[in-house]
Amino acid sequence: MKRQVPLVLCFVFGIAMIFTQFSPHSFSQGIYEEVISWALIIGPFALVLATVTLIQTHTARIRRRTEHWQYSFVVFAGLIVMVLIGMFFKPQNPMFVWLYNNVQLPMDATMFSLLAFFIASAAYRAFRARTFEASLLLITALIVMMGNVPIGNLLSNDTASEARQWILDNPNLSARRGIILGVSLGVISQSIRIILGIERSYLGGGD
Amino acid sequence: MIKTTQWIAVCLVLGLSVGTAFSQGLSPPSNVTAVDTPNDDGSSITITWDAAAEESGISGYQILRRIAGGELEAIGELLPAEKTTYADSAIEKGTTYAYIVRAVSETEATVDSEQTAPVKGTGEWFHTGKIPLFITMLLFSAAIVWNIYSARSGKELFVRRIPGLEAVDEAIGRATEMGRSILYSTGLGGVSGVATIASMTILGQVARRTADYETSLRVPCRDPIVLNVVREMVKTAYLEEGRPDAYNEDDIFFLTESQFAYAAGVEGMMLREKPAAIFLQGTFYAESLILAETGNSVGAIQIAGTDSEHQLPFFIAACDYTLIGEELYAASAYLSREPMLLGSLRGQDWGKILIFAAVVLGVVLELSGISWITTLLQRVS
Repeated sequence: MKRQVPLVLCFVFGIAMIFTQFSPHSFSQGIYEEVISWALIIGPFALVLATVTLIQTHTARIRRRTEHWQYSFVVFAGLIVMVLIGMFFKPQNPMFVWLYNNVQLPMDATMFSLLAFFIASAAYRAFRARTFEASLLLITALIVMMGNVPIGNLLSNDTASEARQWILDNPNLSARRGIILGVSLGVISQSIRIILGIERSYLGGGD
Repeated sequence: MIKTTQWIAVCLVLGLSVGTAFSQGLSPPSNVTAVDTPNDDGSSITITWDAAAEESGISGYQILRRIAGGELEAIGELLPAEKTTYADSAIEKGTTYAYIVRAVSETEATVDSEQTAPVKGTGEWFHTGKIPLFITMLLFSAAIVWNIYSARSGKELFVRRIPGLEAVDEAIGRATEMGRSILYSTGLGGVSGVATIASMTILGQVARRTADYETSLRVPCRDPIVLNVVREMVKTAYLEEGRPDAYNEDDIFFLTESQFAYAAGVEGMMLREKPAAIFLQGTFYAESLILAETGNSVGAIQIAGTDSEHQLPFFIAACDYTLIGEELYAASAYLSREPMLLGSLRGQDWGKILIFAAVVLGVVLELSGISWITTLLQRVS
């Protein structure tokens, strides 16, 4: 029973949601919007559980004095301060906005900026011309890079830019479309397996 | 007396307007029709009229609307002269409307079309424009279902070797030998994401092996619902392998919902704990390379898999093995060798053959000057 009820619900809602994509009638669109709003309602309940596990994890870290356990206090400080300000002064409060703009955003931007260095190190490894494929990759990347910078076009009289566009529009786009088609078929196949109850991993494993 | 004066004034204004219109050769919009907009929920009516001649002097059109028995009212902005259609989406369902299209000249002279027949918006139960898509979906689904159920007969199905999935045992074995943990990330997707579900399926298989080998499995989650499902899955996997004692709930935990904070958290775990094997399976965005490069720097064997085609190059460059797109969805069938799941893979391949045939046929026909297949596909999209 514990397994059958979710499977039946999944089948019924799965089929219903497919048909809402083919029916523009306000009744079917109403069902679609209703189900989507149910899904949104479940989120906050799960967030409570997530917050509890976060507190448990960091309490355990402090209790066990694991490596860098002091940072767990920073987690608690951030959690308590943001929750209190958000609850009592609303998220539009200047203090809340200031903390978001001057603490969270710069930290996010810092992490994002690291990407440039990681791209450089990954590109160095990928472009080492040790095999035919790696050499091909290196040459292609050089053409695309030259097509993207002004000096490349200046030196090649815009040939680099045209070559770059050709690479992006033909081999690159073809490969991407191939992957997208495969992914789309995979998604449909996986969805059918879930709707028919053949794939049950999302129920928490087991049969 | 006042009434007579008003009538004279109205007649003069009308006479002047008509006179100006005729003096400029302004003719009323012709063939004006109003129909219920097809394939919608009944919330709009489409008005169409014939295009005016180039030298007609018309500078724009104003649409006028009347509810049966009511006053005329102007709706929307003045439309440019080249427009020949207008969708009135500010209607009440079930109410009958009639329309007039008013042509306006540059000197603001106007002339009205004849009033259209009354029409009301009604919602359609089926989008007729999606019939080709619906048939394709039915055919493809039928192919998958047929293959799933024919696989029950026990017939051996060939599945090509997927190196990334073959390496799962190697990665877990390596972590066990080194006495270090395994880090598994399900990515940034929510539980409604098909890639996340595929990732959780692989996690279930990985958990069975870590339960056998008594290797620590660490799963930082970004989505609270995913966290709960993953905990349940891993717990069940350990129970089924007869090792409930080895399951540690604290190893599967919520990190944060923020994208880069999640990346920082997982990166920190990699640097502190130095896992021997890292699985990055699911939906990833810009953080993919941050995670993969950090994993590479700590010397872990990395198996990545995603359907985000923009992140694939990063994973291919930084990871030992990468499941490309559909391989991620094939993982559950490949690892479990369940005949019904393998059957669905064969159905998927039939779909690919169908698409490939349509592409080849489309190219050949297009080169021969026949474009019906291209037109059909454009209509579907």
